[in-house]
Amino acid sequence: MSGALQSPAALPMSAALRSFAAQWQARSPDSLSAVREQAMQRFLELGLPTMRDETWRYTNLRTLAAQSFVDAPRQTRGGIESDPAPSLLGDSGGAAPLFMINGYPSLPAAGGAIEGMEIHSLRELARVDPHTLLRFLEPLSDADQKRWGLLNTALFVDGLYLKITGRVPLPLVIQHVATGDGADNIAYPRIIIEAAPGSSATIVEHHVAQGEYTPLSNSNTQIALRRDARLEHYRVYATDTGATHIDSLDIRQDQGSQCKQFTIVLGGGLVRTALEARLGEPGASLDSYSLLVGHEARHVDCVNIVTHAAPETRSTQTARAIASDASRVIFNSKVIVDAGAVHSQSQQSCRGLLLSPTAEIDTRPQLEIHADEVKCAHGATTGRLDPDMLFYMLSRGLDRDTAQSLLVYAFLADVLTGMSVASARAAIESALISQLPDSQTLRKFR
Amino acid sequence: MLKITDLSARVAGKDILKGVNLEVRAGEVHAIMGPNGSGKSTLAQVLAGREDYEVTGGTATFDGRDLLALPPEERARAGLFLGFQYPVEIPGVNNVYLLKAALNAKRKAAGEPEVDAYEFLTLIRQKMKFMQMSESFLTRGVNEGFSGGEKKRNEVLQMLILEPKLAILDETDSGLDIDALKVVSAGVNTLRDPKRAIVLVTHYQRLLDYIVPDQVHVLSGGRIMKSGDSSLAQELERRGYDWVTESQVA
Repeated sequence: MSGALQSPAALPMSAALRSFAAQWQARSPDSLSAVREQAMQRFLELGLPTMRDETWRYTNLRTLAAQSFVDAPRQTRGGIESDPAPSLLGDSGGAAPLFMINGYPSLPAAGGAIEGMEIHSLRELARVDPHTLLRFLEPLSDADQKRWGLLNTALFVDGLYLKITGRVPLPLVIQHVATGDGADNIAYPRIIIEAAPGSSATIVEHHVAQGEYTPLSNSNTQIALRRDARLEHYRVYATDTGATHIDSLDIRQDQGSQCKQFTIVLGGGLVRTALEARLGEPGASLDSYSLLVGHEARHVDCVNIVTHAAPETRSTQTARAIASDASRVIFNSKVIVDAGAVHSQSQQSCRGLLLSPTAEIDTRPQLEIHADEVKCAHGATTGRLDPDMLFYMLSRGLDRDTAQSLLVYAFLADVLTGMSVASARAAIESALISQLPDSQTLRKFR
Repeated sequence: MLKITDLSARVAGKDILKGVNLEVRAGEVHAIMGPNGSGKSTLAQVLAGREDYEVTGGTATFDGRDLLALPPEERARAGLFLGFQYPVEIPGVNNVYLLKAALNAKRKAAGEPEVDAYEFLTLIRQKMKFMQMSESFLTRGVNEGFSGGEKKRNEVLQMLILEPKLAILDETDSGLDIDALKVVSAGVNTLRDPKRAIVLVTHYQRLLDYIVPDQVHVLSGGRIMKSGDSSLAQELERRGYDWVTESQVA
């Protein structure tokens, strides 16, 4: 690409940074080049996050930093198996899923549309209407948790812009398929969702993997809800144990808008999810649910930062974390109430359940309040299965595994019952159950 | 059916049972009475297999099998049922699911096929009607938000569905008003059968007006101090537990 990047003077670049810089050099210029170059420059100056960074204190990226990465191959729908993974919504009669393969949408150049929604490719949008796109790329941020977002901005080649214009009657599933041709692949999926005033939709992002190699996924989703818009958004990770996901989700809400967001981690080896929401105008409301399942050696690091920037805004965060085997699950949430955001309400509830002596759960609910007359509550508890409940069920003759599984399932009920999409809920329950002991018996209870 | 010999047990480092001897034969109803803290509930929990209660001596056999060697779920499948004094609430686990799983576990252990879903629902509705329980029970979590009386009715309902050989009911009468007491007692009485046995653990004689026991035992200080027929319960009601505990000291 055009300008030669200056390497930061003080630190030698890690292998990963050098490889990202090389990807940048190989990109063709486009209408976004100026902002992309700034993003790349900032990213290289900041470097990869380390455990000294506030929102990265639980996740060590040293192994990742020592690797070199190349772009995951561009694949079309025809290049993958006909049915790469069962759709999360099964045959519920939802709209046909949109495929994003290694970040490339399977979409005609002219885009597409479903009732209530326009669908555009980012590559095409950059060509015909760069200003719409630039509104979402700027301003760049230096925050710790946004560094991977800078890298995505610099390097994403394509993606989806979903413009919700009215009431979208059926849930839309975006099937992210990761499929590599080597262990060093990286993909940069980018999605921008903009909901017009008064519109409503349900969007499910489902991350699955296919084939021998799963690329490192540095995905980025931005959501902008205009006045009184309503969105229910899911991001579900169901890849294999070798997969690494670094996902950033950014939500901006205008007056009276309502967002329900579900982050469901059922797969992957290292999964890092960030959610950053800004309730920018009065009456904006966000309900965030996190269901984090640690299994085998999985490492799940979930960071939520919710900013109440206007009066009478409302947020809830409900997180349920389960860790079995030698897994580790982190839920790190922060609510910031800006000066002037009076009469705001927030609630954080995080519960952890440890199923093995070698598993670990860290929860860190935080509050930063700069306004008077606000109502903010937070609570976090982590424990093992309640021995009284377990004994009660055993005394009725249930197998220990069945009893434990039922209790684990019950523990997650608060998140599952919040889901409005019955078919998504059923699919998530089913995937969840398969990771619990005695899944066969448990299926009968559904 | 149940034979307990010199049974001793410790809870949280404290000796509670100090050599209990008791034999219950098929067809019999026994009442175990005694003052608070005498070890009644501990005995019930130890027999059901509560793991944090440590058995320090003695034996207990159930139909000739070493009861203490079995984990709690196997005791249940062998036909032992404990009606809890304080049934736990399990939000998120449906009442009907639990009952069905319990019944199927028992049937599986007996080599029988799983219960048909329709038959099961018919059975549960019939028993619920008998126990005068509301329909909402079917959709609620186990004991979730139940009043004390509803929880006890639920214990008896579970017992009626599981039809145990030996039912140990731990203060099933406590916290019940007179109408509920009648319903619960009627439920227990339907289970009286020459092939079954029932052990009622109770603090008050009141329950025994409705379920007349064959034998009454007074447990005090971790031992059975006195045994007799149902008239012993009436005498205890008149004279109080001090009468037994003091006469033993004297």
